[in-house]
Amino acid sequence: MKFDTPATTNPIDQLKVVGQPVDRIDGRFKTTGTAPYAYERHDAAPDAAYGHVLGAAIAKGRIQSMDLAAAKAAPGVLAIVTAENAGKLGKGEYNTARLLGGPEIQHYHQAIALVVAETFEQARHAAGLIKVEYAPAKGAYDLAASRDKAKPAGTDDEPADSSVGDFDGAFGAAPVKLDATYTTPDQAHAMMEPHASTAAWNGDKLSLWTSNQMIAWSVGDMAKTLGIAKDRIHLMSPYVGGGFGGKLWVRADALLAALGARAARRPVKVALQRPLMFNNTTHRPATIQRLRIGATRDGTITAIGHDSWSGDLPDGKPETAVLQTRLLYAGANRLTRLRLSELDLPEGNSMRAPGEAPGMMALEIAMDEMAEKLGLDPVEFRIRNDTQVDPESPKRKFSQRQLTECLRTGAEKFGWAARRKPMQARDGRWLVGLGMAAAYRGAPVMKSAARVRLDARGIVTVETDMTDIGTGSYTIIAQTAAEMMGLPLQKVVVRLGDSTFPVSAGSGGQFGANSSTAGVYAACVKLREAVVKKLGLNAADAQFVDGEVRSGSRAIALGDAAKGGELVVEDAIEFGDLAKKYQQSTFGAHFVEVGVDAATAEVRLRRMLVVCAAGRILNPKSARSQVIGSMTMGAGAALMEELAIDARHGFFVNHDLAHYEVPVHADIPHQEVIFLDETDPMSSPMKAKGVGELGICGVAAAIANAIHNATGIRVRDYPITLDKLLKDMPLPA
Amino acid sequence: MADNVRFTLNDCPVEIAGVSPMTTLLDWLRDHRGLRGTKEGCAEGDCGACTVVLEREGRRDAVNACIALLGQLDGQSVRTVEGLRGPGGGPHPVQVAMAEADATQCGFCTPGFVMSALAHASNGGTADPDAIHEALAGNLCRCTGYRPIVEAMTRIAGLAVEPPSAPLLSPRTTSAAFDGAFFAPRSLDELLALRAAHPEALLLAGGTDLGLLASRERKPPKAVIHLLYVPELAVISASADQITIGAAATYEAAAPTLIEAFPALRAYLSRLGSRQIRNMGTIGGNIGTASPIGDMPPVLLALEASLTLVSPRGTREIPLDDFFLDYRKTELAPDEIIQSLSMPRLWEGETFHCDKVSKRRDQDISTVAGAYRVRIRNGRIEDARLAFGGMAATSRRARATEAALLKDGFAAAIAAVESDFKPLDDWRGSAAYRRQVAANLLRRLELRLAEPGRALEVEAL
Repeated sequence: MKFDTPATTNPIDQLKVVGQPVDRIDGRFKTTGTAPYAYERHDAAPDAAYGHVLGAAIAKGRIQSMDLAAAKAAPGVLAIVTAENAGKLGKGEYNTARLLGGPEIQHYHQAIALVVAETFEQARHAAGLIKVEYAPAKGAYDLAASRDKAKPAGTDDEPADSSVGDFDGAFGAAPVKLDATYTTPDQAHAMMEPHASTAAWNGDKLSLWTSNQMIAWSVGDMAKTLGIAKDRIHLMSPYVGGGFGGKLWVRADALLAALGARAARRPVKVALQRPLMFNNTTHRPATIQRLRIGATRDGTITAIGHDSWSGDLPDGKPETAVLQTRLLYAGANRLTRLRLSELDLPEGNSMRAPGEAPGMMALEIAMDEMAEKLGLDPVEFRIRNDTQVDPESPKRKFSQRQLTECLRTGAEKFGWAARRKPMQARDGRWLVGLGMAAAYRGAPVMKSAARVRLDARGIVTVETDMTDIGTGSYTIIAQTAAEMMGLPLQKVVVRLGDSTFPVSAGSGGQFGANSSTAGVYAACVKLREAVVKKLGLNAADAQFVDGEVRSGSRAIALGDAAKGGELVVEDAIEFGDLAKKYQQSTFGAHFVEVGVDAATAEVRLRRMLVVCAAGRILNPKSARSQVIGSMTMGAGAALMEELAIDARHGFFVNHDLAHYEVPVHADIPHQEVIFLDETDPMSSPMKAKGVGELGICGVAAAIANAIHNATGIRVRDYPITLDKLLKDMPLPA
Repeated sequence: MADNVRFTLNDCPVEIAGVSPMTTLLDWLRDHRGLRGTKEGCAEGDCGACTVVLEREGRRDAVNACIALLGQLDGQSVRTVEGLRGPGGGPHPVQVAMAEADATQCGFCTPGFVMSALAHASNGGTADPDAIHEALAGNLCRCTGYRPIVEAMTRIAGLAVEPPSAPLLSPRTTSAAFDGAFFAPRSLDELLALRAAHPEALLLAGGTDLGLLASRERKPPKAVIHLLYVPELAVISASADQITIGAAATYEAAAPTLIEAFPALRAYLSRLGSRQIRNMGTIGGNIGTASPIGDMPPVLLALEASLTLVSPRGTREIPLDDFFLDYRKTELAPDEIIQSLSMPRLWEGETFHCDKVSKRRDQDISTVAGAYRVRIRNGRIEDARLAFGGMAATSRRARATEAALLKDGFAAAIAAVESDFKPLDDWRGSAAYRRQVAANLLRRLELRLAEPGRALEVEAL
């Protein structure tokens, strides 16, 4: 199905199932521990041997020698895979560094060997017996130090630079201006399930169970890396224990499980040990961001400039932290620039809302600072600079843009009017502050296909390679099929994450929910046609209600259409140029109340509210969870998350969950989410968008702004730990 | 004599043969028993994805399976997420509440949360937010934002959860040796004989530190002697003069007695590790491992604790002051064990305070820990014992600071911190930061003494 004209009324608009806060259909498997994850496929590969990954102990240089003798002779060892014995390997399109290093080492803890043994303990023990001699080389690990060497760098979708009007002239002439620099640190996905894979060869055909967000990308990259045809690979990922962008692509566990299984001639499973993950896999790169905003005295932005510097391995990509600045606020003169330095740290790549998450951390503090300079309420300042068109290309409208409504609703519900000037609110030991920020994230769409089957019992089975990484895909896909076919949820079966199923959008970039359900919609439209034809009904008046198909005076059980055999159809949603004609984005407004201990500068969150305008909300219950989960990750970014770099040896020091601190229960207070009523006919037949990343965009800045309101201190260097506040804290009254 | 580890798993007796008793419970459950509901998230007791419950004496106690060795479980009753059933054989009400509250997203942390929630409900845990936070401090989640889990916990706290079933296995009355390397003596005499015969063996109490050797460091111990069933080491007693805690008593078991005697420990102990860690970890172990940032040594130093050390050569009592020699080095002789520790109750005029400063409030290692016992008579400080962790290679008293305090008061004491400690720089805090914190904690102490109730305590979130 081609989607190239705005959606009109369709069966989804009935909202009998879609839009309802139904329970997650996989919830009972997860709470009972029966959902099988990638490392747990003993049902499919009962005799799997264990692989243990050895990571490089240097960040850059070469392996001079590897002595495998002791490891090979260790009890239980079946095979050892290294770059030397693995045969010729390609490199995946989505990988920057090679997944199996050697002799050249590209980053610390790059995998250099897999030991396969009968038991996990034996594999681990033998890996410790491998003796490696390195010739280390000098590397670059300091973003600030390499900033001057940074080069312009865009991505496939985004240019490095964008410019409108005369930024320099307008900024120079602006009566009120801000020129401030902000930094965000390297951050880790730290999903709860470590990367894990089980691999089994049957002749030249590989079955790979792996924890993965994007099935088709990963089949392609495995094929390219192994040098085999894509149809030789069956990749399965029905349950994923969190990804956040870290599992968009295959990683060392998948490749090494496949190579290990080939070498040992039996199935092999590999899980990355937690302390290896932080340096072996990808992370969100640190940024340095310079914001320049010029405005008239009444608060109209006349110039807005955003420069962002980030680093990555050679051939890597920039963190696109200026994206939202190209679209969020009006302003006649504009300049944004992405700059990239070569660093020899582990590979930087996508993490939940790449671009906007760190970009909004900077932009939305800058907006707060600017409002303060102007003597304007920060809500009002944003409303004054709202735009209904793409400010870089004013002929292009936003398909829907309710930023102002989000801001006003949030201000009212949160009690924003009670906000006082900095350092004026106190509650016992706590200096209390309120802060806010806009939320913004693009709403891209991707082609997405699905197959639907109807059997004689009237059960509809959906098959698509879409993944559910905790997002709720199983549930919203079931809701979509149930709505389309006039069935209760119990009559829908959803099967996901399998490369033999039609290729979906996958989970990433906030495109998954809208695109994949639209693909299921398209397949269901086709199934409805097939049913009507099979039953000999009139297509014009056929209705699918309560498990029946009704037409004229006739009402036939849906399953009857499959009496002569299962009906199977497949279709995809393919998006035309509506997304080019109209800018499609999601919007929101964050409001946060913090307490800052007057004596210790310890920050505690007290209340958080976000108002979201993100198209039709397919399931308010799972959508709310997605939003508050991303607010929590944003709170971590604001207050604690930071990969600390050892600039001598080039690695992340705090590489486990004891030292990379993420929020715990007690860190997260009351959270509230309000979804504005919105349907976006430009987005898809579902009229939906994504919400999984909107919640993280802007929230860290709202917290920073609340801290400023509490203490009068402006911290521009995340995370805002108390040592950055202490020296400037107001003296206790 | 070949003994096998026997315990109860989800109401069924199991006997372990052919698997090393040094195997972690988590690895055994997942790889040998095929029970894969219990997850490995970090393999070091940080994330709680591996939480299971031990059922004992009418209670259910959450513990981390990733750092519990099989040998430790001999005689115990373990329940995993697979061992939960609701009425009619469906999901347990705790599981239903978690699912209905949308308290599961990716699901990987969920079984651990379910088991922590079960323990909370079984032990009469309330729906009070602080109680919920404390019960779940050892469980990390990266998807849900925690609020749906708190909502589920609120519902669960009101549930009538069935009590743990009676133990299936009759307790062992004699000592056991598993695999010729894991010894479980049943008396102090047997323990001492084993200690003498196996000087290379590590003493295992709760395993919350030692278990990391197996789970994270890749070096399962060659031999261990397990102290759990030595009755002389489990004693907890309180007399008019002093408190005595057996070296193998868990934090959770010792807490009521300690808090009754030293109320300032209530808030401190609630932030020591997590519920899972406190259910297994012991104060004796915290002293024995002699970590420079162990939470209890500063407290015990300030409280003038003494240790009863026993060996075949006899019993001796030494002040804890003399026990820590250097980084992870102690006064303990190779044939000696810590039997118990004792500390005098507070005398008239004495007050005790303690502080734990960490980057995260819950489930975090201390950057600096401080503990102070001060005796004031007639408005004058007569005696002070000030001890800090995280400031040197061992927990230590601040002797110059104490002397300055007695002689010239707090301003002098604060100035003296510098001469007492040369702390290290690491990811938890720079040397300068640690010194500043220690000095500031003394300022807080001064305020606590001068104007009781005015100083801000961390109990309130």
